[in-house]
Amino acid sequence: MAMRRPALSAALLWPALVVMAPLLLGPLVLLAHESLKPFVGGRVGGDESGALTLQNYAQIADPQYVRYFLDTFRVGLLATALALVLGFPVAHFIARRAGPVMRRLLVGGLVGTLFLSIIVRVYAIAMTFGPHGPLADFSRIFGVTASSPDGAELMVVLGLLNSTLPLVALTLIGTLQNINPRLEDAAMSLGAPRWKTFFQVTVAMSLPGILSAAIIAYAFCISNLVVPMLVGRGFIVFVSNLIYFRFSEVANFPSGAALSMVMMVISVALFYGLLHLVRSHWQEAGK
Amino acid sequence: MKRLADAVFETVYWSLVTLFIAFSVIPVVVAVVLSFDARSYVGPFPPTQFSLRWYDRFLADSYYHDGLVTSLLLATGATAIATVIGALAAIGLHHARFKGKGLIQAALLSPLVIPNVVLGFGVLVFASRLGILDGMTRLLMGHVLITFPYVMRTTAASLVGIRASYHEAALSLGAGPWGALWQVTLPLARTGIIAGAVFGFVTSFDDVGVSLFLTDAFTFTLPVAILAQMRANLDLTIAALSVMFIVATVLIIVLLDRLAGLDAITGRGVYGR
Amino acid sequence: MIQSVLDLQHVTKRFGATAAVDNATFEVARGEIVALLGPSGCGKTTTLRMIAGFEQPDEGRIFISGTDVARKAPYERNVGLVFQDYALFPHMSVAQNIAFGMKNRGVPRKEIGARIATVLEQVRLPGIEARRPAELSGGQQQRVALARALVTRPDIMLLDEPLSNLDAKLRLQLRHEIRAILSTFHCTSIIVTHDQEEAMGLADRIVLMNKGRIEQIDTPVGLYQRPQTLFAADFIGHANWIPGRLARRAADAGVVETKVGGIAVAPGAMADGPVTLCIRPERLALMAQDAPADTRLAAVVERLDPVGADLRIWSRLRDGTLVQSLEKNVGRDLPAPGADVTLGFRIADCIVLPAEGTAP
Repeated sequence: MAMRRPALSAALLWPALVVMAPLLLGPLVLLAHESLKPFVGGRVGGDESGALTLQNYAQIADPQYVRYFLDTFRVGLLATALALVLGFPVAHFIARRAGPVMRRLLVGGLVGTLFLSIIVRVYAIAMTFGPHGPLADFSRIFGVTASSPDGAELMVVLGLLNSTLPLVALTLIGTLQNINPRLEDAAMSLGAPRWKTFFQVTVAMSLPGILSAAIIAYAFCISNLVVPMLVGRGFIVFVSNLIYFRFSEVANFPSGAALSMVMMVISVALFYGLLHLVRSHWQEAGK
Repeated sequence: MKRLADAVFETVYWSLVTLFIAFSVIPVVVAVVLSFDARSYVGPFPPTQFSLRWYDRFLADSYYHDGLVTSLLLATGATAIATVIGALAAIGLHHARFKGKGLIQAALLSPLVIPNVVLGFGVLVFASRLGILDGMTRLLMGHVLITFPYVMRTTAASLVGIRASYHEAALSLGAGPWGALWQVTLPLARTGIIAGAVFGFVTSFDDVGVSLFLTDAFTFTLPVAILAQMRANLDLTIAALSVMFIVATVLIIVLLDRLAGLDAITGRGVYGR
Repeated sequence: MIQSVLDLQHVTKRFGATAAVDNATFEVARGEIVALLGPSGCGKTTTLRMIAGFEQPDEGRIFISGTDVARKAPYERNVGLVFQDYALFPHMSVAQNIAFGMKNRGVPRKEIGARIATVLEQVRLPGIEARRPAELSGGQQQRVALARALVTRPDIMLLDEPLSNLDAKLRLQLRHEIRAILSTFHCTSIIVTHDQEEAMGLADRIVLMNKGRIEQIDTPVGLYQRPQTLFAADFIGHANWIPGRLARRAADAGVVETKVGGIAVAPGAMADGPVTLCIRPERLALMAQDAPADTRLAAVVERLDPVGADLRIWSRLRDGTLVQSLEKNVGRDLPAPGADVTLGFRIADCIVLPAEGTAP
């Protein structure tokens, strides 16, 4: 049997490998190649005949470019942090306190928010918090006017938040469900007040899940294109927007490819690196 | 003292929960209300008169209509391909015990992590190198790439819940590996596969990042069409469209709940209630 | 010689550096019920999985009805398996579950319905064809699992901890039922269990395993009365232990020098040197000072524990060793704690075991 089962599992894997390997490797190899070509103005794609160069990467180190990366990472971090603060109580409410009907409704709402076209959601937020919207005064709480660069940043954060909230909440529901609720009862019977129990038992035990949720949300934020495109108003431009701009406006494929390679490496390294770190740390602690 | 601290804690807790729900619901309500606005410009909220003019305009616009047809075809095709190969791959990996299994799994799931813009750009370069200029084919390539991981991931998650003894029982009762797969594993993984397919379909239908690179003048998806319109003129047709999207989403959620159960997404947890 | 249905020859299975099963050899005759008994991790489940075909032995051969099956897939062996968790397919009805094996083993379609009805009657669950496994009690699921495995008329039935998922009372009842069902089918069976009572109650013979090795193969009574290792004596039933040194006096007579004096024994094939004596509690009797016995030991009563109809009497020997003896609680006067007593036993009831092995 042991000699047959690998044959079957291999057979099941083949269709996926045959389809996915070229779809994954082809684009990445060609992008890597493209990123090394010198750019010649006025033609689509890099110079085929020219020698390979690293100038497209060198260009990215320019402070002017670095700013786009920093903006991406900073705004993403803001949206992720806010999502955790708002998302954890909701996940806790759904996992621990909500009745079956409420739970179904809220989970349905979360999945619905996730499923609703991001364009529609960002449009709705722009209409709500925009200059004519019913909540136009919201930005004043933070001392920013809607039309300023800071106002644009606030709108991008809100737009991203709308997507990260359900991601974070749904991930955390899973985490909280796997924590024994008796532990919270035990803490309270030992005299810990509710808030202490919440932070020292519930939040503390959810830390691996919270970090995983943060990583997922952050990966979503920093690769986002639509939100800055629709509400960034040119003040907030993410690396994804820059890549699209290289393709659509100036047709500088080599530069776009170099940006893509850098962004991909950062995303993959951040995601798998952090996730690995979280998992190995908690697995060791668990021993 | 403890009581006061707890009262403060409860107040903050409920404020955050309320804020979350308000932030998720209010924009949707605003979009719905605006879609019935009778004014021809984007004016202060709330509207003073109501009409269905934006719905008429949206329904009469062949641009949106073409986009919708393309998006539906594309999402159906990409999901069908991704579901078949993704579910099989998840089952194959579940049973596999070879070295490098983790690496293959991570590689197959990587489109979840790689920015969509990078994938779109890459597929564009790849397709033109292969001489594929047809918009639909290019889009299908990109969309299989982004829907596949969703199907594989949810199927894999549902396989974890299936006891190994079911598979072994099938083998000991004389079913070969294919029989066990077809008669036992696939039916038991059904909800996971369906949930994955629904996720994949929605991902494909809503995608912007990949599609922007792969559409052409004749083949464009609905989100791409909306984006183009939004940049051209920001009228309330989009609000009417949003309502259509909201209705469709609610229908999909109800469908998902019926077919797979919403618990397929969050799970019930070890200490299930 | 009668051909055995199952024949394991020097079977070894390693997981990494450790041998889960180490050089196991035993046979099972047609119609026999054999229990693989041992503590968790002793290799009994691995042995079962090798017979079923889910694991392959690294060394040795496995014959089922004379054919070497070591390299055959599970579905190429005619083996019926009852899983610990029953593994009834949750998406199929009882009838579909039972039909599953028959369809895959090529039973003619028109026969299947009748055979399902018959087998359900034989496990005393007639008429539940349409039900789903989730609608059945644990005991019913157990019997459906048995029916599903039996209906294909396998060469050999394998039952993995068949009663471990049931509560104590049901377990006793089902033990008899399983025994009855298996003998109705004249089915050669192997039962894996860690529960000695289950093995004693179900099996014709017991294969006792420890740390991957077979310790002893014997009938239930033989295993209890003639344990050959310290582990066997300790694992089955209760025992008193007295360590000492054997000195042979004649062909089958010797003395073991212990801290409580010399004890006459029948050493069998045991060599001179350190040994451990094993005396079962029910063979260690409270006796009058002058009553005849091969060996007498002075002791002080510590405690009396009622065990159902019996009394377990804990006494301390002169060297401080705590021993237990079992007395029928029939209204006789019994010594109170603190009383001096004499404990006696016969030579035949004193089992001489090698000193090494699992310490009691």
